[in-house]
Amino acid sequence: MSEGIQIEINNLNKHFGHLHVLKNINLSIPKGEFVALVGPSGCGKSTLLRSIAGLEKISSGDMSIAGEIVNHLPPRKRDIAMVFQSYALYPHMNVQDNLTYSLRIKGMKKKSANIEAAKVAKTIGLSELLQRYPRELSGGQRQRVAMGRAIIREPKAFLFDEPLSNLDASLRVHMRKEIRSLHDKLGATSVYVTHDQIEAMTMADQVVVLNEGEIVQQGSPLELYDSPVNKFVAGFIGSPAMNFIKGIVSSDGRSVELQFKVKQKISLKSVFTPGMTVDVGIRPEHLDINASQTNLKVAVNSMEATGSSTYYVADTEPALSFIEQGRSSIVDRENVNLYVAPEHVYLFDAKSGLAL
Amino acid sequence: MRALLASLRDGRGFDISLISITMTFLLLFCGVPLIYNAIMSFQEVDIFNLNTFIRPWVGFDNYRALFADATTLPIFYNTLVFVFFSIAGQFLVGFALALFFSLKFSGSTYLRGLFLVSWVMPGLVVGAIWNWILSGDFGILNHVLKYIGVISDNIFWRSDIHFSLWAVIIANIWLGTAFNMILLSVGLAAIPNDIYEAAQLDGANAIQRFRTITLPMMRATIGAVVSLGLIFTLQQFDLFAAITSGGPANSSNVAQYRAWEMSFKEYDFARGATISVLMIGVVMIASIIYVRSTKQEIRG
Repeated sequence: MSEGIQIEINNLNKHFGHLHVLKNINLSIPKGEFVALVGPSGCGKSTLLRSIAGLEKISSGDMSIAGEIVNHLPPRKRDIAMVFQSYALYPHMNVQDNLTYSLRIKGMKKKSANIEAAKVAKTIGLSELLQRYPRELSGGQRQRVAMGRAIIREPKAFLFDEPLSNLDASLRVHMRKEIRSLHDKLGATSVYVTHDQIEAMTMADQVVVLNEGEIVQQGSPLELYDSPVNKFVAGFIGSPAMNFIKGIVSSDGRSVELQFKVKQKISLKSVFTPGMTVDVGIRPEHLDINASQTNLKVAVNSMEATGSSTYYVADTEPALSFIEQGRSSIVDRENVNLYVAPEHVYLFDAKSGLAL
Repeated sequence: MRALLASLRDGRGFDISLISITMTFLLLFCGVPLIYNAIMSFQEVDIFNLNTFIRPWVGFDNYRALFADATTLPIFYNTLVFVFFSIAGQFLVGFALALFFSLKFSGSTYLRGLFLVSWVMPGLVVGAIWNWILSGDFGILNHVLKYIGVISDNIFWRSDIHFSLWAVIIANIWLGTAFNMILLSVGLAAIPNDIYEAAQLDGANAIQRFRTITLPMMRATIGAVVSLGLIFTLQQFDLFAAITSGGPANSSNVAQYRAWEMSFKEYDFARGATISVLMIGVVMIASIIYVRSTKQEIRG
């Protein structure tokens, strides 16, 4: 057990009947860090979070929180707070009683618990709503109450289970910042589950990508963006998603031939095995339409202008998407010249999907 | 004429005609007899003036005579005991079963369905079966109680004045438990599981979760179950007719059975009506509680 680690998971496995939903999970979360668990639905991220909370029993492996093995501790003894996707507020209690529930359970007098509630309500802007019932609150306000209920306890860790997915888009962006600044203010350790990679990228110190019950990669958001370990992470992180094209490394190993109907060659940053079949990954934002040089010619099939940038889809097989900042500068839609710098061309093994 | 037809087809006329059918039925077969019954309780009624409506008005004489009768107060007391212990028994056993089946073990839904059998059985049949169970000489209940050492001599449940009322209460608890369980199960199922999970993480143990989450969130359901139980136990007639016939010596007689005896065995229709009017008052209060408790349902 190393110093400063708040949550440590060793060789965790979880079975639901015949289903092996978490496979050999190893994860250590330093104190004060904001960790996002991200992956497509069914990847096991929520199960992992619920295992940390103790709401799911783990089948094998060890889990410790603040240095104490918690494998067999029930949720109520783990001293962990969780914010649920549905908020799970107590509908028969007003905001004040919702906030003070954990304190009153611990035996704190109602009067002093209410003083704590007032403090917490002030930090998260709920002071006016203490006497309201959950049904009288908007989605964003309920979200705040759920947060308040978590922070009033000063727990060993905060767990978030897709807390923003029931909010509308603009509120979601706002709450993202608020949760993160709250985390910094409290110096808390947070584990945040989301299927939205943008949430993970913008909020977390560490992003853990899960797929089919396994940790595929973990690292800082930009590490994942810059050097994905495999095709799955490359495709999952970044929006719009990375383009993948079948390719064959040329005989000198310095370039790759993209297997479009009309084959095109682009150069690579280093030497690869000649003749190898690969998946070539290129992010839409790395296909430059206004560069002085060019190594790709395509015809544009469709375009969407958002004002700040323009999204294109090329008439290729598979369809290549790319972005231009600002308004469209294309004159001839049939002949568009693109350039992708060699350092932005990712190669993945065609069979294993691993980055080369 | 055309406007009338149009409104009948898809306007307010349709709503009104639907309601008026029900209202006519209710007024004719519930409202009028209710009022007729109340009026009868203020009249002198006998076999000879039964076929007329205009009878001698006696004011509260029937009420005074009823309370002057030495059997009345014990019977009302029996009614109180019967209602209270029936509801308490039905509710406690029903709630325990509802909680048990909410654990969702394999086969729990089928087992729960089986419990409903008691609810669909006619009261007279239930009474007949319980007569066998409660029988003093060869009843299985006495046999079991003796076997586990609770009693040493047979209890004559139906003919001993100390036990006759309890004989009916036991049968009535069995009869009403399933209904309580089903209503309470529905109430339990309506509480979202994540609230329990949140309470667990907030440090609440099972007893604290039951006290602070289950009970308050079940308030509306419990109110409905108890007030419906009050109405149903005040209606319970079949079991008395089948098991004790109110005897021996009125020891298991209750108001509803007494009202029937008065009217249809002793042909004292006025006295029977008087008891019924008093019971209507109690049922009305229960109905108001029922309606109010279903209105206050908490929605998250």
